[in-house]
Amino acid sequence: MINILRWIVFAIAAVAMNFPIIVTLVTSFKSPRELTANPGLWVQAPTLENYAAVFTVSDRLNIFLYLVNSLAVAALGTLLAVGLALPAAYAIARGKVGERTLLPLIVNLRAVPLVIFAIPLYMMFQWLSLLDTRLGLGLILTIVNLPLALVILVNAIRDLPGELDEAALMDGATRTQILLRVIAPLCRPAIVTGLIFGFITAWNEFLFGLMLTTSKAVPITVGASFFFAASGGGVQWGVASAVMIVGALPPMLLGLLMYRQISGSMTAGAVKG
Amino acid sequence: MTTKTHRSPVSEFRLLTMPLVVFLLVFLGFPAIVNLVYSVSSVSFETLRSPEITGFGNFADVWRDGTFWRASWFSFRFGLLTAILECALGLFLAIFLAPLIERRSWLMAILMLPLMVAPALVGLMYRLVLHEFAGPVPYYLWAWFGASLSFLGPGSAFWTLVTVETLQWTPFAFLLFYMAYQAIPREIVEASAMDGARYRHRLWYIELPLMMPTIVVALLIRFIDGFRVFDNVYVLTGSGPGGSTASLSIYIYEAFFKQGAIGKAVAASVVLFIASFVVLYGLNAIAARRKGAAR
Repeated sequence: MINILRWIVFAIAAVAMNFPIIVTLVTSFKSPRELTANPGLWVQAPTLENYAAVFTVSDRLNIFLYLVNSLAVAALGTLLAVGLALPAAYAIARGKVGERTLLPLIVNLRAVPLVIFAIPLYMMFQWLSLLDTRLGLGLILTIVNLPLALVILVNAIRDLPGELDEAALMDGATRTQILLRVIAPLCRPAIVTGLIFGFITAWNEFLFGLMLTTSKAVPITVGASFFFAASGGGVQWGVASAVMIVGALPPMLLGLLMYRQISGSMTAGAVKG
Repeated sequence: MTTKTHRSPVSEFRLLTMPLVVFLLVFLGFPAIVNLVYSVSSVSFETLRSPEITGFGNFADVWRDGTFWRASWFSFRFGLLTAILECALGLFLAIFLAPLIERRSWLMAILMLPLMVAPALVGLMYRLVLHEFAGPVPYYLWAWFGASLSFLGPGSAFWTLVTVETLQWTPFAFLLFYMAYQAIPREIVEASAMDGARYRHRLWYIELPLMMPTIVVALLIRFIDGFRVFDNVYVLTGSGPGGSTASLSIYIYEAFFKQGAIGKAVAASVVLFIASFVVLYGLNAIAARRKGAAR
């Protein structure tokens, strides 16, 4: 009996929390004519014309550009964050270097409203001609990704037995060699989790994309809203829905495939950070 | 877990942290200094490279600006309400649904899905969901009750935003609590059941106290994220109606990009910067002392 109640609660929670995704997915298959007649949650005559419209490049709208931009900045922001965090995490976990300064500083970064750095970064990027470039946005996303990457990696290295390092030191290896040949391979699961997490976070970032890009380096989270004002009249909801689904799909698929790793590290990052 | 690894000099460890330290100095240290200098300067877009130090006028402007206090109040209220709602709902779901999910972990993937979508896109999606002609929510409200609400109007915009934020981030609280609930040692629960403790006593006196650290952390994280909210609010309401839904993040953004009030925007950033670091280091110190006391 109580199990039926549990299923009902699960169904309500699942629908309520995923409601915007469901509505958008349904709407993306509606023709303009059906949309005005039927705003409900079913489709009478499904069509792909909205998706065709989204993937049609015009001089004002180019979905491929936004997707490639998102891919590029997310990849840069993720790889660089993990690349910077790994050696630091090793030094923190094994050498106790920066354990009391660097680690809390970066972990606290997770909680600071990043908008406070937005204005000086905007000015700095103007001086360096990094405004509206993928490189510039990718560098900022590195900052966004650093806290969680560092926490995940520090925890992973702390869990490895110290005897590993001892043995390698006896053999005359330097710390850098140990990091590259012993620690990094053993930390692969944590590194992969950090990469997945960072990619999703970076792909979904909006504030810096909005401020630091205008045309060439616009990511999909910002570019999606361009489609809302595409035609002179009101919003074409079918097309708008299709573009939102396209923009939301990559991290959603990644999340569905990797939900075990993600749920585990989300807890680690929250509790130990 | 002290390891005897002091044989190689500490300096090699220092070297390994260097890339990160340099990166932070350039991308956070430099901006922090720019913030501090510009906050006490008179500056406009024309004189961007030659700020003239004039004292604390910008801070006085912020202090006297009613919009700033309104945005602070919005951020605080929004952060507090959403954190409490998300944690309450998440806790209920984690405990009540645990028997289902223990056997079918893919159910968790469905509940986690909202976390994977960009908050900015979720905000845009709600523009569709709540749209008076194209949106299903007003449509069904009309069909079933013969009336609908103006969801983004003056009276209800705040509550609509709270609902939007809560529905997207309850899964985060749920996930944390589910993991904490699973981590409670089975022996403790079984022993108390053996002693004849009733389910609700067991929940109240054993399981919830054991989950308390996680509950505190979840409340804190969700409060912080709610307090600094930008994406979904910005795309749903801008800051309207009438500036009633401007969070502090939106206030700073608009002061800079829409009004060109660089000094004011930077001064507000510095205030927020100092406030958050004071609060965070305070919390860290409390947590460290507690840990020390427990040892």
